Amino acid sequence: MKIKQLMRHSETYVLLIVILFSAFVTSVNPAFLTLENLFDLLRSSSGTAILAVGIFMVLLSGGVDVSSTTIAIVGQYISVNVLISTGIDNIFFAFAISIALGLSLGAINAVFVSLFKLPTLIVTLGTSSLYHGAMLEFVGTRAVNVGGLPQSIKDFGSLNVLEVARPDGSTFGLSVFFVILVAVLLLSWFILKYTMIGRGIYAIGGNLEAAKRAGFNTRRIQFFVYMYSGLLAGIMGVMHLSLIRYSNPNYLVGTELGVIAAVVLGGARISGGSGTLTGTMIGVALITILEKNLIMIGLSSYWQQFFVGLVLVMGVSITYLQAKLQKSGRQIIVKEEE
Amino acid sequence: MSDVFLEAKNISKTFVGVKALDNVDLTIGKGEIHCLIGENGSGKSTLIKIIGGVYRADSGTISIDGTELHGTQAIQSIRAGVQIIYQDLSLFPNLTVAENISVNQMLESNQQTVNWKSVRETARRALAEIGEDIDIDERVENLSVAKKQIIAISRALTQNAKLIIMDEATSAITSEEVKHLFSIIMQLKERGIAILFVSHKLSEVFEIAENITIIRDGKLVGVYPKEDLNEEKLTYIMTGRTLKFEPYRYDESLQAETPLLEVKNLSKKGQYRNINFKLQRGEILGVIGLIGSGRTEVVQSIFGLDASDSGSVYIDGTEVEIKNPRDGMRYGIAMLPEDRLTQGLFEAQSIGDNIVITVLKKFLKKAHLLDIRNKRQAEADWVEKLAIKTPTPDNPVNSLSGGNQQRVVLAKWLATDPKVFILDGPTIGIDIGSKHTIHEIIRDLARQGMGIIMISDEAQEILDNCNRVLVMANGQVVREIEDSTTISRDELLDVIAQRQVAGAEA
Repeated sequence: MKIKQLMRHSETYVLLIVILFSAFVTSVNPAFLTLENLFDLLRSSSGTAILAVGIFMVLLSGGVDVSSTTIAIVGQYISVNVLISTGIDNIFFAFAISIALGLSLGAINAVFVSLFKLPTLIVTLGTSSLYHGAMLEFVGTRAVNVGGLPQSIKDFGSLNVLEVARPDGSTFGLSVFFVILVAVLLLSWFILKYTMIGRGIYAIGGNLEAAKRAGFNTRRIQFFVYMYSGLLAGIMGVMHLSLIRYSNPNYLVGTELGVIAAVVLGGARISGGSGTLTGTMIGVALITILEKNLIMIGLSSYWQQFFVGLVLVMGVSITYLQAKLQKSGRQIIVKEEE
Repeated sequence: MSDVFLEAKNISKTFVGVKALDNVDLTIGKGEIHCLIGENGSGKSTLIKIIGGVYRADSGTISIDGTELHGTQAIQSIRAGVQIIYQDLSLFPNLTVAENISVNQMLESNQQTVNWKSVRETARRALAEIGEDIDIDERVENLSVAKKQIIAISRALTQNAKLIIMDEATSAITSEEVKHLFSIIMQLKERGIAILFVSHKLSEVFEIAENITIIRDGKLVGVYPKEDLNEEKLTYIMTGRTLKFEPYRYDESLQAETPLLEVKNLSKKGQYRNINFKLQRGEILGVIGLIGSGRTEVVQSIFGLDASDSGSVYIDGTEVEIKNPRDGMRYGIAMLPEDRLTQGLFEAQSIGDNIVITVLKKFLKKAHLLDIRNKRQAEADWVEKLAIKTPTPDNPVNSLSGGNQQRVVLAKWLATDPKVFILDGPTIGIDIGSKHTIHEIIRDLARQGMGIIMISDEAQEILDNCNRVLVMANGQVVREIEDSTTISRDELLDVIAQRQVAGAEA
C-alpha cells in the first residue's frame, strides 16, 4: 500500500504513537523492550484484546456493546462458583459455563436490538446493569480469593506454550492466553472476510435498510454479532480469572469504555461499517502500553486515563479534519485578481 | 406467451386507516419503457414496493410472465426478474464497487462463504455489459451520485433483471448525467429489459417514456401512450387542475429612489468577488448559475451565515454590517436555505414550534416566560395563512409532505416580517402542484412590497417568477438580465453554460 493511502487511516497514526511511545519508554527504562516484558504484556492484555474483538464486531455492525465486560464478569463469577460448589475442578468446564452464559446474555441483547429494534447503546447499558444486579442478588457478592480457587484455574493461568530460560536458570514463558487470542483473531478474520455473515456485518453497518432489501437476513446477523461478542466475553471472563487468581464480582464492570476507546482508536468508525481487526489490535496495544508502562517511566498510572483521553480526542480530530479538508478540496477555487 | 411482462391488477393497500392505493392497475410490456407518474404522496412508492414484494397488498394480484406471484417475500420478485433501484440507491457506502455489484448475486446463490475472485469477476462483467469503466476496488462512498447509480444498475443486471424499476432516478444528478442515464436505459431496452421509470419531472418523462401510467391520491387516473399527451395535459391529469403560468410582472410604482438592498463590491476569497446589485421593493430577483458558481455563497454572506471579506451592503440606503444571522434578521433579512431538512427545520418538533422559533421573543411575558396562548394563536394563524395541510400545528413537521414542509419554512421566516427574503431553491424536491402554490405565495409577497431574491437550478422557474435575473459563474456576476421576458429559456441556458466554458479557458 502506498504511504499516502496509509496516512489516510487513523490507525497508522496510532501505530506511530505506539512505536514512538515504546521507543521513549525504552530509552528511559531499557527493561521495556525485553522479551520477558513483551510476553508479560501479551499475557495480561490478551483478554482485553479478545473483548475488543467482540466490541469491534458490534461497532462494525452499526451498534455498540457496553455490556460485554459485565457479561465477562458474570461468566467468570458464576463459573467459578459452580466449579467450587460441584467440586468439578476442570478448566474446560469453567469455559463451557462461561461461554454458555456469554452466548445466552448476548442473545438477550440481540432480542432487544434485533426484534424490538431498540437503540443498541441503551439496550446494552440497561442489560449490563440488569445482568450485574441479578448476579449480585442471586449468586452472591463475596469475592473468591486465591485460596478458594479451583486448582485447574490457577494452573491454566500459569500455563505457557513456550519457555525461555533466564541467565540465572529460572524460566519465563509465552502464555497460552496468546494462543487463544491468535485463534480468536484468525477465526474472526475468516468470518469477516470470507463468510456471507461477515460481509453481512459490514453491510448492515454500512446501510441497514439496503441490507434488508438486498436479502441479507439482518436478524440472524445481529444475533450472530451480539452472541459472538457474548461468547468472547465468556472466554475473557475465565482468562481474567486465571490471570489475576481472584474473582471479585465487581471487577471489570466499568472498564468497557476503555475497551471501546481502544477499538475506536484503532480506526473503527463509531457509526459502523468500517474498521479492521489490525487497527483494533493496535488500539489495544496502545491502551495496554499506556496502562502498564507509565509506571516504568516514573509516572503514576492515573496518567493512563489522561493519555487515553488525549489520544482518543486527537485521533478523532485528525479523522474529522481530514474529512473536512477533503471536502473543501472539491470546492471551486476562484483565482485572485491579477 | 403474450408481450406482457408484468401485470398488477386491482391493487389496494391501506396503512393505519389511510388508503394509500385503491384498485390500481399497472401493465408493463416486455422491453417497454413505462413511466409511473404522480405527485408526492400519490402512492407511487407504495405501488413499486408491492411489486417488489416489500409490502403485501391488501387485495389484488400481480402476475409476472403470466404467472401469479404468491406471498410477500422480496426474493420471489427478484427471482422473477424484478429489480428495484430505490431513490437512495440502497448501496453500501463502506464497501467496494465490486462487492456492491455482486452482493445480490451472492445472496441469491445462497452461498455461505465469499469467493473474492468471482466477486470481482461478476462486477467487471456487469460493468462491461453496459460499457462502463469504474474502478471496482474503490469504495462506493467516494463516487458521485451518477456513478453510484450505474453501480445500482449493474447490480440489477447481475440478477438477470427483466424489469428494472427506477424510483426518482434523476433527482440528484446533473442534466448531462441524465442524458447518459437515458442512453443506458435505451441500451437495456434493446436487450429486452423493461424499465419502469418513476418520476415527477414531466420533461424527462416525455423524453424517455413509451407509455405513461398516472396515479393521483392512490387511484389510477389513466394509462396513455406518450403521443397522446403533452406537458399541459399531463399536468392537468396529474394534479386535477389547470396550472397557468404567467410570468411575474414587477409593479414599477413600488420602485423607490433608494433601493431596498444594495450590494457593492462584495468579495470573499475563494468563493466570489466584486458582486454588485440592487434590489427594489416588489422585485423578484433571480440568481442562477451552476453549482459552485458562488450563488449560494453570496446570499449566505448577505444573510450573515458566512461573512464576506470586503465590500458593503446597504439596506434602505444605510450601510449595515452583517456578521451573523442575528444581524441579518435585525435588518429585516430572511433566508430560506437550500436544504430545508437539515438547515431549515427541526424535524421531530411540532409544526407550530418550527414556525414561531424565529420570533419566540415576541411571546415573552414578564419574568421571561412564554405566553402560550399568544404563541398558539400565531401558530394557528400561519397554518391557515399558508394553507398548511395538517389537522393541528401540534403534529410533528416530518408528518408533512415536502411541499407542506416548505410552507412551514416559509411561515417561519415570514413570521419575522422580513423586508428582504432570500429563497435558495424554494421548490427543490417538490412536485408540480405544490410548486405552483409556493410560487403564488412568493409572488404575493413581492406584490405586497417585499424584496425577493430567488435562487434556482431550473431556468424555467427563474424565468417564470423573476422580473430580473443575475447569472453567476466562477464567483462573478457574468450577466444581468434587466427584463426576464427578453430572454428565452434556451438563451438563458446558453449564457449559464458558455460563460462557464469561457471562464475555464481564461
